[in-house]
Formats: sequence, structure tokens, C-alpha cells
Amino acid sequence: MKTGIQSWLDERLGFSNILGFLKEKTVPQHKHSIWYYTGSAILLFFTIQVITGFMLVFYYNPTLDGANESVARIMTEIPLGWIIRSVHSWAASFMIAFVFIHLLSTWLSKSYRNPRELTWMSGVFLLAVSLGFGFTGYLLPWDDLSLSATKVGTDIPSSIPLVGVWVTKLLRGGEDVTGDTLTRFFGFHVSILPVFIFILLGVHIYLIQKLGMSLPLAAEGKKEKVREIPFWPNFVFREMVVWLLLLGILFSLAIFFPPSLDKAADLMAAAPEGIKPEWYFLFLFQTLKIFPAKILFLNGDTLAVFLMLLAGILFFFLPIMDNKPTERKGRIITIIALVVIAYAVVMTIWSLL
Amino acid sequence: MKLKHSLFTRRQFLNGLLGGWLGALLASFLYPVIKFVFPPTREPDQVILAFADFRDMKPNSVKNFLWGTKPGILKKQDDGSYLAFVGVCTHLDCNVSYLADQRKFFCACHDGWYDENGRNIGGPPPKPLRRLVISIEGEDLIIKREGEERVEDQ
Repeated sequence: MKTGIQSWLDERLGFSNILGFLKEKTVPQHKHSIWYYTGSAILLFFTIQVITGFMLVFYYNPTLDGANESVARIMTEIPLGWIIRSVHSWAASFMIAFVFIHLLSTWLSKSYRNPRELTWMSGVFLLAVSLGFGFTGYLLPWDDLSLSATKVGTDIPSSIPLVGVWVTKLLRGGEDVTGDTLTRFFGFHVSILPVFIFILLGVHIYLIQKLGMSLPLAAEGKKEKVREIPFWPNFVFREMVVWLLLLGILFSLAIFFPPSLDKAADLMAAAPEGIKPEWYFLFLFQTLKIFPAKILFLNGDTLAVFLMLLAGILFFFLPIMDNKPTERKGRIITIIALVVIAYAVVMTIWSLL
Repeated sequence: MKLKHSLFTRRQFLNGLLGGWLGALLASFLYPVIKFVFPPTREPDQVILAFADFRDMKPNSVKNFLWGTKPGILKKQDDGSYLAFVGVCTHLDCNVSYLADQRKFFCACHDGWYDENGRNIGGPPPKPLRRLVISIEGEDLIIKREGEERVEDQ
């Protein structure tokens, strides 16, 4: 039953096509369908980041003199500000964690194969933008920890010959990390990266709708009928149960373990002991640590950065390299994925020791 | 009394339960958001100033002080007494200035005029400037919200 306003709008916007699509949409049910929920979990945490981010930006002051003080004010003076910052900090970790899980499930189930290559590639960009959010956000409280992490992080590109120095300058807004870096990182965090993530999310989600949900290898091959449930309301209700569970965990952690805030960073002070980046950068951090200063005639960190770049490029082009028919198992790809997971886990634990 | 038919169906009951529960959940999310976005108002109950800073003012002159987050205006009258105002136009919140030669308060935003006692006499301001209550205790000049005094009298 349509009211006059609804049909007036629908004639012009045509939203009944979209609603019709969502009504018809189905989600396959099989023993691996649990991984379908990781995507919407990422969207849940992303939404929380957008809302809490809007709120924090009301009080945050992205300047050398004001940044640390304004975060302290959010933590102590603004009503419930500490919870908002804590949720923003924890949800960032949750979002990255689910991005990793989502990615690994796609990798191990080979869902990136024809025709979903572009979905994978837009996903790799989304990963990069998400990590960019984490990296730029880490500086904003402007304490010793965040300053050191940013100095190291922005110095990494400079070991690439020719272009590297310029990348570092672009990120820092000069030769060194200064108040300009803070303002620039704030700009990345709240205006540049959001534009990219919304565009990429749009492409990613459009592709998933257009190409349909991927199926496990065995089912794809046999082309036999897989049991399906309607997206609305059956699947959405199940998703809501998952969201509630995740929200409960998130808020509990946010309330009992709020993030710390040290005194304002001193640009001239020596790096404090035990500096560490966020947990999701630890394996890269440790990789840089174990490379010796010189390997043969090459600079150690230049080689490390090149290896990381190469790994990133191979990772991006994975669907082009592994273009086997969808029903093939792809054991080598699975083994590589497991090796990468093992490497990341070992390096992360090592860096914490 | 036993009803022959139930007042609502099982489906209606469950929908109401789910809807009400979702509404309560939403409210519990909105509460901290609203608390955060609207911080408590910060108008002070009183401000205490050093009288020494204001003792040497000439008659028919004004000096500003901080009334919370607004400018306060202290005016010395011809007879040596003091008046205190919140120096904000009652029209649309612009800060006003005192024109000593004309003995008027003036708001430049929309050409609003008040006389030397803060009464609105020209232009759009709908009300007089807000008065504050002054008391001098030893070396302190204490400025309170209007109305505080009356409460103490009772």
C-alpha cells in the first residue's frame, strides 16, 4: 500500500527497484556461511567509527598546542567523553581484526576467482585505507607513544630510492614530524580517507550484489542447488544477533579498558622505551627490526621495504595469478595463506616478548 | 473475568516485544550521544573580582570582566555606584559596546540601542540588557546572577 508521497518519490527516484531487489535477494546456507557475517560486522564497526568520529571531532583540536589537551578534556570533562573515545579506539581494533578475518576467509575459500577479481582488488584497497585510518588516528592524541610511532612509520617510505623521500615529505608536511604533520594527519583521517573509503565501499558492495554471494568450492563445481534463505528478514535477523553480541563485547571492553593518554609529546625528547605501533602493524614492525643494517651491498631496510612492496603487489594481483576454474582446490594458495598467517602471528608474538 | 478472545495475536505480541526492545536499545545508545553533544551549561553562579582593579574607574566609564563564557560589563555611574550587565545584545547574541559620549550601549550587528541603564530604546532588541547583582565585601567585588539576592532575602 503506497501513500501519495511514497509513489511521488518512487516515480522520480525508483527506489522500489532497490527494495524489490532486497526482497528477492537470498543468501546461501552451508557449513561455511558463517564467513558471510564478517562483512556486515566490518560495516557495523565502520558505522560506529563514523558516529563516534563525528562526536570526537566536536571537541578535538588538531594543533600542536591543543591536541593532547583537547583529548584530555574529552576524557575528563565532557560528559561520557571517555566512553566515546574508548569505543572509537576499541572499534578501530575490532574493525581491523574483522577486515583481516574477512580477507583470510576470502583467500582460503578462493572466492576471489573469476568473476570476483575486482571485488578482491577493491577489498585490498579497503584494507589499505583502513590501515591508513589506524595509522593516522594513532597520532592524533599526540603523546610520546603516538609521536614515535608516526616518526617510524613515516620514515619507512624514505628508504625507497628516488621517490621515497618525497612520500615521506608528503606524509609529514616537511622534513620532520611537526605540528604540521598533526594537522595533515587529521586532514587525512577526517576528510581524505573517508572520501576514499565511501567510494571503495560502494564499489565493493555493488560488486557483491551484482555477482552474487560466492559458494564453497565443492558447491560451485557441482552446480547443485544449495539451500538458500531470504536476505530479508531471515538473514538480517541473524546478522542482528551477531551485531548484538559484538556490541556487547565492544562496550564491555571499552568501559573496563579505556585507552591511555600520556602527557603531550615533546618533539625534542628522546624516544621512550618500549614504543610500539598498534597491534596490526606489529608484524611489519618486527620485520623491520630483524633486518640487518647491510645485506650484501644493499641497505637492510631498503630491502625490507622492497619485499613488503612486492608482497603487497603480489597480494593485490592474487586473482590474476590464480585464475583457475572456480572448482579447483588451489592447495598451493592455501599453503601460502597459512604460511603468511603463521608468519604474522609469530612476528607479532615475537615483537611482544 | 475470562476473555473469550485474546486482545492481540501472538504475532502482534512478538512484534511489539521486539519493537519495544529495539526502541529501548536505541534509546540506550542515544543517551550517551546526547549527553556528549550537549555539554552542561557553564554560566557561573557568581564571579569574584578584585575590587582594586575597578576602584579607580572614572564615572560614566565601563570595564569588561569575564562572566563565564560571556563578556560582563561593569559600569561606574556618575554618583560613584556600580552597575553590572551581561554584555550581550538581547536581540541575537552579539556583544555590545558602551558609547560614553552618547551614554548609550550599542549593538553593531543590527543597530540596537540601550540607554545608560541598559534599557532597550531603539532598534530590534526586545528586552533590556541582563543585569547582574553586585556586592562589595572587603576587597572582593562579588557579582551574582540576578535573583540570587532575592532568594537570600526570604
